[in-house]
Amino acid sequence: MTTSPQARRSARPQDSAVLHTYETLIVGAGFAGLGSAIRLRRAGIRDIVILERGNAVGGTWRDNQYPGAACDIPSNLYSYSFAPNPEWSRAYSGSREILSYIGSLVRQYELAPLIRFGQEVIELAFDKASRRWLAKTAAGQTYGARTVVMAQGPLSNARFPDMPGIGCFEGHKIHSARWDHGYDFAGKRVAVIGTGASAIQIIPEMVKQAGFVKVFQRTPGWVLPRPDYGTPDWMRALFRRAPAAQSALRQVLYGAHESMATGLIWRTPASGLLEQVARLHLRSQVQDDWMRRQLTPDHRIGCKRVLVSNDYYPSLQQPNAKLITWPIATLSPRGIRTVEGVEHQADCIVFATGFDVSKTGTPFPVHGLGGRLLSEEWQRGAQAYRSVSVAGYPNLFFTFGPNSGPGHNSALVYLESQIDYIVQGVRLVIERDLKWLDVHEGAQQRYNAAIQRRLAGTNWNSGCKSWYLTGDGFNGTMYPGFATQYRLQMRRLPQRDYSLVR
Amino acid sequence: MQLDLEKMRDRIKASQWALADIDWDAPGRERVTENPELYAKLKAFMADLMWIEHVGARGFAAMAKKAPNDTLREIYTYFHAEEQRHANAEMALMQRWGMLDGEGLPEPNINIRLVVEWLDAYADEMPLSVLGSVIPMLEITLDGALCKFLLDTVDDPVCHAAFDKINADEARHLGVDFHVLEMLGHGPIYRQTLDMAGRLIDPRLLMGILAYLPLLNRMRDNLVELGLKENKLYEAIAKYKRVGGTPGGRRNPWFQLISRQGAWVIDRKNVFYHAPVDALVRLTGKIPPRLLPQIPSWVHELTWKPTA
Ligand SMILES: Cc1cc2nc3c(=O)[nH]c(=O)nc-3n(C[C@H](O)[C@H](O)[C@H](O)COP(=O)(O)OP(=O)(O)OC[C@H]3O[C@@H](n4cnc5c(N)ncnc54)[C@H](O)[C@@H]3O)c2cc1C
Ligand SMILES: [Fe+2]
Ligand SMILES: [Fe+2]
Repeated sequence: MTTSPQARRSARPQDSAVLHTYETLIVGAGFAGLGSAIRLRRAGIRDIVILERGNAVGGTWRDNQYPGAACDIPSNLYSYSFAPNPEWSRAYSGSREILSYIGSLVRQYELAPLIRFGQEVIELAFDKASRRWLAKTAAGQTYGARTVVMAQGPLSNARFPDMPGIGCFEGHKIHSARWDHGYDFAGKRVAVIGTGASAIQIIPEMVKQAGFVKVFQRTPGWVLPRPDYGTPDWMRALFRRAPAAQSALRQVLYGAHESMATGLIWRTPASGLLEQVARLHLRSQVQDDWMRRQLTPDHRIGCKRVLVSNDYYPSLQQPNAKLITWPIATLSPRGIRTVEGVEHQADCIVFATGFDVSKTGTPFPVHGLGGRLLSEEWQRGAQAYRSVSVAGYPNLFFTFGPNSGPGHNSALVYLESQIDYIVQGVRLVIERDLKWLDVHEGAQQRYNAAIQRRLAGTNWNSGCKSWYLTGDGFNGTMYPGFATQYRLQMRRLPQRDYSLVR
Repeated sequence: MQLDLEKMRDRIKASQWALADIDWDAPGRERVTENPELYAKLKAFMADLMWIEHVGARGFAAMAKKAPNDTLREIYTYFHAEEQRHANAEMALMQRWGMLDGEGLPEPNINIRLVVEWLDAYADEMPLSVLGSVIPMLEITLDGALCKFLLDTVDDPVCHAAFDKINADEARHLGVDFHVLEMLGHGPIYRQTLDMAGRLIDPRLLMGILAYLPLLNRMRDNLVELGLKENKLYEAIAKYKRVGGTPGGRRNPWFQLISRQGAWVIDRKNVFYHAPVDALVRLTGKIPPRLLPQIPSWVHELTWKPTA
């Protein structure tokens, strides 16, 4: 390290003459940002700063603390392979346990000194003259860095839907990703809007806690049974003593999820089989014909995120719960008016309606070479080279960039290979002291043409609407293939596809 | 009748109303309740009307599953709910007039019960070509003519307030109905005819027809009983043929069949049609309700209460 963190912090960052230039600046302290820092440091990159707008680490798992919050990929796979945790208490751990795993990463790898909390990046611009990126934050500060890792999260901006009348509801409003732990649900009439991944975790808990729960569904999703179990003590002891056993389990889980890809990503006999499993699951848990019809999806399995739950269907049939499939006409001061003319009154509305996903823009302006603006180039859909680099934006690396989304496997499997790729890129810039490393426009175009060709045959592009697609049906979100294929393409950064400018 | 479906969907969303928008306790109730001659007949009529709306609702639910594109699917999902709203509003009127016994639903007549039964069992399996051709007929005759008749007969202002809203919805329904009827006529006639011939020997559809025909005749009888000029109903049936008879509509063999059958309904002298169908009405009247399967659970969603 060249300067002590103290000295760095006391320098007036606004004064660009004395502005410290970090080797790497990371936006966001969730799984992606922290994982990048860990791997970069191990590769010898020491001068790192992490800008985090919140006041704690953890991102998704800091924000999503609603009752029932848990991962829906087994924890042994939804964790870093380089930091196995023998102590997972369940197959699918809850939000708090995942958050404390992230906390333990921060402690174990001594990341705390790198993180600047309360620093929300509002603009990134590449300064050609000083060949560095300048990041402006909402707190009025500027940070300079040779390289930047974008790790601000694919699902980090909670969003209330733009429903008519949303402003006039006088009761309590809660977003699933901004849970209000002070609110007492006992005896309350609660409306839950949405039936996606978060909703089906929240609903069973709400039904236990609240007086009456109405669930407003627009489109049902496919629900598969969830093979959850509490980890027996012997297993934890085994994993502590023989880490190889745990990584073997991880391999098995990885293989199991990979095999689902055949059914989830493409229309194959396996899709029919999975749909059959989901139908049987529904049939075994819901007796009433009409309710089963309401809960049966019209879209192919895999077109939207597949849900996993054992207690969602049963909870909807409790005496204090009701599934409502009438479209919502408007919110009113006292509740929700649906199109069949009834006002469903509620004390509290829980919005499990998802996130603002910038499919055609960027969460804040990013200016590249010659002042080009990324959101303009992405107007019709986001594009990148191998999901990490974008031509014209040198030394800038994306995590969960365009077409990196897994439909069937742990996001962290994808993330790890992105990080390893990014480490190669950052090392090139720092070790060879490059002015910039910029991917060739042509390579990016060829890559995307191939991706879009392959996407055309997938379930996501089969005509159903989902948050994966832009309004015009462009898919800049998902990776059309197995995780293994993705990892293979990310193993090596091909220098021939980049210009390395000294 | 060409229509911009997306504009229509937006218009539908912008024209929503709720039971709570109407003051069900406003003055004027006595204009019905203090007219004993009208009262009893109206009670039966309202029950039928409400049930027909509800049956129409279930029809749209089936159509939503068949819709060829997302916009139409969304429109049908709304229509499903809107027909339910009409049924709910009509039930609220019955409540206002003291026509509901306790909290219970009015009893459906046996022909409606049969149609409900059929819809529940088979509607989802019928192709859009069948549903999309029958629904406009039901909408234009039953919904259309019955509502109009009601407004001519009843001068309770709350009833008028409710039906202003219901009729505005219906105008949009008819717009879409006939647009789809036209659309269904595209494609080679011989293919459509073959397809229809295949369907017509499908016992599930035959059962539907057996439920549908007596319903029309029975409604005619009920209306006459109530003092409706048969002509009103016939005008509506004729309108189906007129409005639906666009080039596309005429190419649709289902349209041809249904408008032909409509003409038979109108023609009282057509004994070949009416003798057997009236016999069916009488026959179905003999079915003991306890032999019918349990009422499907979607029926219990009906409510006259503006808030829940
Ligand atoms: C409820 C829920 C359940 C999920 N379950 C699973 C699962 O089971 N399996 C799976 O594979 N994936 C799951 N995911 C996906 C999950 O988002 C990823 O697995 C992963 O947590 C993403 O990590 P991240 O670090 O990229 O983003 P995040 O965890 O969102 O972290 C981003 C961080 O960046 C910060 N930030 C954002 N913008 C700025 C800015 N402008 N300036 C500074 N800081 C900023 C945020 O505050 C946040 O701390 C789930 C997501 C949600 C919402
Ligand atoms: Fe109606
Ligand atoms: Fe209608």
